[in-house]
Amino acid sequence: MDKITKNQFSAMILITDAFSLFCFRGQISIKSLIGFLCGIAIQFLMSLPLVKFYSTGGNIENVGKIIQTVYFIYLLLWGGVLFSMLWKASDVIYIPYENSNGIWGKLLIAGMIAVVCLYASSTGIKAVSRSAVIAVGAGMVSLLVVVISALFNSDWDNIQNTRTTESFLTEISRGFFISGGLGNFVVFLGFTKGKYIQNTIYYFFGKLILTVAVVLSSILVAGGIMQITEFPVVTAAQLSQPFPVQRIDSLFLIIFAVFAVFAIGIQSLATAELLKKIIPKFRYLRTTSVLILMIGSAFLFSGENNGIIYIIATGIMLFVIPCVMLLKRGTAR
Amino acid sequence: MQNYKELTIIPDLKTNIRKIKEISGNSSDVMINEFVTGNIKCALICCEGMLSTATITELILEPIVNIEKQKDSHELFHYIQNFTLMSTDRPVATEYDTLFRLIHSGFAVLVADGMNKALAFGVQGYAVRSISEPSSEGNIMGSHEGFVEVVRTNMSLIRRRIKSPELVMELFTKGDKSRTDLCLCYMKDRVPPELLKKIHNSLDNIKLESILSTGYIRPFVENGNFELFSSTGTTERPDVLCSKLIEGRIGLLIDGVPFSIIIPKLFCESFQTLDDYAFKPYYATFIRWIKYLGFLISILLPAVYTAIVIYHPELLNSTMLMLLVEAEQQAPLSILTESLFVLLMYEIIREAGIRLPKAVGGAVSIVSGLIIGDAAVDSGLISTPLLTITALAVISGFVVPELNDTMVILRIAFLVSGGIFGLFGISILACAVLVNICSTEDYGFPYTAPLSPFKSAGMDDTAIRAGFPEMQSRNFTVEEYQE
Repeated sequence: MDKITKNQFSAMILITDAFSLFCFRGQISIKSLIGFLCGIAIQFLMSLPLVKFYSTGGNIENVGKIIQTVYFIYLLLWGGVLFSMLWKASDVIYIPYENSNGIWGKLLIAGMIAVVCLYASSTGIKAVSRSAVIAVGAGMVSLLVVVISALFNSDWDNIQNTRTTESFLTEISRGFFISGGLGNFVVFLGFTKGKYIQNTIYYFFGKLILTVAVVLSSILVAGGIMQITEFPVVTAAQLSQPFPVQRIDSLFLIIFAVFAVFAIGIQSLATAELLKKIIPKFRYLRTTSVLILMIGSAFLFSGENNGIIYIIATGIMLFVIPCVMLLKRGTAR
Repeated sequence: MQNYKELTIIPDLKTNIRKIKEISGNSSDVMINEFVTGNIKCALICCEGMLSTATITELILEPIVNIEKQKDSHELFHYIQNFTLMSTDRPVATEYDTLFRLIHSGFAVLVADGMNKALAFGVQGYAVRSISEPSSEGNIMGSHEGFVEVVRTNMSLIRRRIKSPELVMELFTKGDKSRTDLCLCYMKDRVPPELLKKIHNSLDNIKLESILSTGYIRPFVENGNFELFSSTGTTERPDVLCSKLIEGRIGLLIDGVPFSIIIPKLFCESFQTLDDYAFKPYYATFIRWIKYLGFLISILLPAVYTAIVIYHPELLNSTMLMLLVEAEQQAPLSILTESLFVLLMYEIIREAGIRLPKAVGGAVSIVSGLIIGDAAVDSGLISTPLLTITALAVISGFVVPELNDTMVILRIAFLVSGGIFGLFGISILACAVLVNICSTEDYGFPYTAPLSPFKSAGMDDTAIRAGFPEMQSRNFTVEEYQE
């Protein structure tokens, strides 16, 4: 089995989380940030049975076809959510041909990304994980430019002034929406070298830093117009211009496109990996089928990030199933 | 006629000579000199132009005709082998296959009546190009010696630099027709055993008829997947090869080719030159980052320029924007067409400059640079900013000559992608290229190491160029990167 390092593992999962953050819709405030951080803490606690399962010799290959199918459906639907996010967010990010050609423009962009994802998936987990590290590194440098620019354009009063009407529980549930990488986390944790608990802590710590940096800079820059902002992170990137006579919005477009490709590519890689275990004989067109199903399922989602459904789905996938598997193994002994 | 490779030498001189003539098709360059020495009928066979007349006269012809009378041919061969030293390289041939390989490699071969074997003497002396400065790898502070076409000379160039018994050079032949000498070089205490075994296996799979350049061999020692960048390198410099051998890599010399193949090759090594290690570390680090920047500029600048001008003009400041608008307004072609036209014209001119004789090549440069370039701008066919951008991209590519072929293709691909889909298209293509580079791996050595997978120790000769005292303590071998 191809093994990946904790850096590669974290980069692969964080890239999906970062993409979910970019596409986050609705108002955000400090209360939201605290809710998101609580959500991350809960996710970490929920992931412990899974860590225990892997640490005691468990493997996604041996969990049975029913559980594998549940995970497969989750990953597939989340792939659809990612495409849906891409389409919604691209309404406010200028992509040539996308905005002017309606549904065909959207499908053209989705098709282009799907082709690159297909190629990426064909190269295997090692190549994708290595490139994810470089993409995350380059993305973080670009993001740092955006964040530093944001600091120059920030209004520190926004921290106090920006308010959301959502309850704290809703904020926690929204925190689960920006955790699209958790499905990949379940699949790829078994591929990592070293101790699973250390790799898990490493990933969640990275996620914490990323969430704080992006959400806080968004509040600082776009806090004043949060009431009329649909995509706070995108708006913050558009508003944070370091130079007086030129704009750097397009820098964000580069990060957005690169993260979109890797997020969907990694999602399709994980989904295809599960499909391989469920139907081993289905070899040819496996990833193609997965990508077509993802694009198809994207039409099911409106891109709204308020919903208890994400908590339930993540809870089942991250906590309930690993607990059941651990109990089943304990009973068998 | 039976395949000569299966035939053995028989103890009848006349038949052997007839057979040699038959196999060689009475080729004019195969010289058969029949004579009698020690009262035994013999023949000395050699290939015209492949041996040194002075050496063969002094070391072989004079001693051999003065041999005293011998009882039989066995006694004669025993005497020659044990009581004379006509050459330092004295192989014995029992089959015609070996006999012809030796003759065609510049050996003088002695066959005698009554003997089922032939004695060969290494007296090679063919015309060779003298050792000169490498034409493809410039250098200021290092050695000015480059490989030549003769594999044995190249072996001596390496041995002169590594006088250690750990340096092993395995000489063997490949190519059914060309019988090309190949030499596998490695440091037996440094090379990963698994790598050596796999290279041997890969070389065993070569069933080529001829080997005339490094390109014939490289596909056999690479993994065969679609790779934009080659995971094996070449060098024309013995000092570079020696530095790679000491790092545990394998070198492959090919007779007739003044280049050596290096296995494995990493992406970051394309940005390293031997001069880096002659300059002060801070200057070498600066130059190295200039090369990284040059690589990116070379590939991306025309594409980014086109994408920005067409789709993202807000990235430009107002002065620059006005300047470009004014310049592009006069050009009759669209920016994408104009950029493609300039890039393709450059490639045509470059190719013409390389292939033409040097005298005419100079004229091509004058015509292309002064007349076409100047006239195209004056006539308004091409805008000055675009020509400047293209020239900058092309010149930047020269800082990493080893990657130039890939950079040319990528530059055009990014240009088309950026011209159609703007920065989004460039980003999408960049992802595909990145995945391709990261998937390049031969024998377990990731091409992108030490960047990804990240090896912090490797950064002292990648992100910076550390001083020799620091590098000395590390004792680096390429095995550190193996996965």
